[in-house]
Amino acid sequence: MRQKNFALALLTAAALAACGGTGSSGGDQSHPITFSQQVTFGDSLSDVGTYNVGAVKVAGGGKFTINGSETSKDPALTGLNWTEVLAAELRLPAPCAAQTGLEGTNNDANPAADFFVPIVNNANCFNYAQGGARVSNPIGPGNKVVKPELGEMTVPVKTQVATHLAKVGGKFSGTELVTIMAGGNDVLMQLATLSANATAAGNTAGQQAFATSLVSGLAAHNTTNPTGAAQAIGRAVQIEAARAGSTSTTIVQAAVGAAVGAGDTAVASPAVYGPIVATAQAAATTAGAQAGAQYAATNGPALVAELGKAGAELAAMVKTELVGKGAKYVIVNNLPDVASTPSGRSQAASTQELIKAMVNTFNAQLKAGLGESPNILYVDLYTVSNDQVNNPRSKEIYGLTNVTTKACGDINSLLCTTRNTIQGDVSHYMFADDIHPTPYEYWLVARYVLKDMAVKGWL
Amino acid sequence: MKVRLNSVVKMAVAAAALACASGASAQSAGQWTAKFGFNQLTPKVESGDLTAPALPFTKAAVDRDIQPVLIFAYGLTNNISAEVALGTPYKHKIKGAGSIAGTGELGTVEALPPTLFLQYRFFEPTATFRPYIGLGATYAYFMKERGSGKLTALTNPGGPATTFDIDNKFTYTGQVGLAVNLNERWFVDATVNKSRLRTDVHFSSGQNQHMKLDPVAVVLAVGYKF
Repeated sequence: MRQKNFALALLTAAALAACGGTGSSGGDQSHPITFSQQVTFGDSLSDVGTYNVGAVKVAGGGKFTINGSETSKDPALTGLNWTEVLAAELRLPAPCAAQTGLEGTNNDANPAADFFVPIVNNANCFNYAQGGARVSNPIGPGNKVVKPELGEMTVPVKTQVATHLAKVGGKFSGTELVTIMAGGNDVLMQLATLSANATAAGNTAGQQAFATSLVSGLAAHNTTNPTGAAQAIGRAVQIEAARAGSTSTTIVQAAVGAAVGAGDTAVASPAVYGPIVATAQAAATTAGAQAGAQYAATNGPALVAELGKAGAELAAMVKTELVGKGAKYVIVNNLPDVASTPSGRSQAASTQELIKAMVNTFNAQLKAGLGESPNILYVDLYTVSNDQVNNPRSKEIYGLTNVTTKACGDINSLLCTTRNTIQGDVSHYMFADDIHPTPYEYWLVARYVLKDMAVKGWL
Repeated sequence: MKVRLNSVVKMAVAAAALACASGASAQSAGQWTAKFGFNQLTPKVESGDLTAPALPFTKAAVDRDIQPVLIFAYGLTNNISAEVALGTPYKHKIKGAGSIAGTGELGTVEALPPTLFLQYRFFEPTATFRPYIGLGATYAYFMKERGSGKLTALTNPGGPATTFDIDNKFTYTGQVGLAVNLNERWFVDATVNKSRLRTDVHFSSGQNQHMKLDPVAVVLAVGYKF
């Protein structure tokens, strides 16, 4: 009996030792490094409301995502982009736009259509990122030169950095967390230029092919004097084509008129000249497409080289203007997989390949230029975004429900809110519009950046 | 928490009752021994992937811990004994692994693995070297699961602090050991215990993680026979 009591007492003691605060808890939530502030340079992916003025503000937009907090509907619908999630986790003040305004269509009478709001610089805001911003070229997509009705400032990253340095006396204190991400708009603008030029080249070639086919077709119908007819018709087409305001219809009219004048009255009947015109149109389409594709193929490599230059330029900026001026914690996000965005996927296969080459060259130059530095954290968003879109298993683990459909439909994400998304639950979609993430995808980006910060010893 | 504690108490009492019930039938051959030493508990972790929403292939590693132990054994016969250990909880650091390798310590947990062994001891009680084998019933009890700012950042950035709970498990443990009798009362003892332990971790941020822990315990102790 004595032993029994002894054993019981011991076992009870063991059980009692387990008493007192045995539950789980969050533990110490502080991070070892206390950053003094977050300073952000970049484009729409980091913009926290540069254009949240005028009509954009009236629409409830302002950020390049699904705008507006609707966390009661779904916790993922925060309306936040990655820089805001990062600041919240690091217990830094919510970032605000260093500059606001729009230079588009002025409409003071109707605020809902007013895209002209004077530019204001906010001295106490340190997020310089602007939608449409490029690495160093001041004209990005959305700029007043490209889209006069919208008139985004698209101040390039190079200028953003210079503005900040001027504001803080030329150097960083070393306790700021600096984030920088750009290059996407360089891809889009280069591509837009290429596309416009290729279309122009295609049109020119198409018009030539059309005229050539039309002249030879009509002349061949003149059995008595085809050579003379060809000269007359050719001259008429040339004159009409050179006339301002001429169209393919007026060119056909002039050509048929010349053919009749050369003695072939039968050709005046639509039943006769109709098929000849149709043949000419087919020839034009073929020649146009061929010329356009050829232009793109010939000039594509030049674009890839341009992006390589932009990547190297961004890297140099980080080293000399950020780290070189005292920044000790610089996060550099590389370019996500632009070819896998809805914008990229809507392009022809050859164009998608070109985008891939542009992005890869940009990232390679950026990474090589940055090198290894204790002050620079290079975050590989390309690999993550590529995996999310192209690996169904990964998509599921990331918690994404859709990686191809635009949550905002055809609305530009700058004007997209929780109230004008497409039907159904879009809270865990990857993309808000052609190129911009939803708040959920931004949250995944922030979490990935934090993971890399932890590995780097910054968290 | 009450539920858990109750189950531990019940288990402890049940274990005690079992020990005494067996003991009563072999009281005449009975001898109590106590040994004091150190136990190094090393989980042999095979981590499952953290479930959605997570970075694919997010895994965890668990560090070993060393704690003092007090072990009591009772001779049911000259060759068969029952053994139970008492000790302070093992505090394990949980670190990021897999795709989050290098993130460092994300949390800690304290574990108590009370085990009741039934052992077979070779040779005569007077022999100098007495190897033994044992099989035990183990209750793996996890408590004081502590997260960290880093854990929150990696699971729910910008959100409330992430907490986690590890399921307690009944399981079994195999044992091999060697007692070396120094004299009639004192002996030294080395033991290796290997448990089968598969459990699940539940995070407040919604994810789960299956963990194969299969800990190996190495105990070096000095003992005294009463």
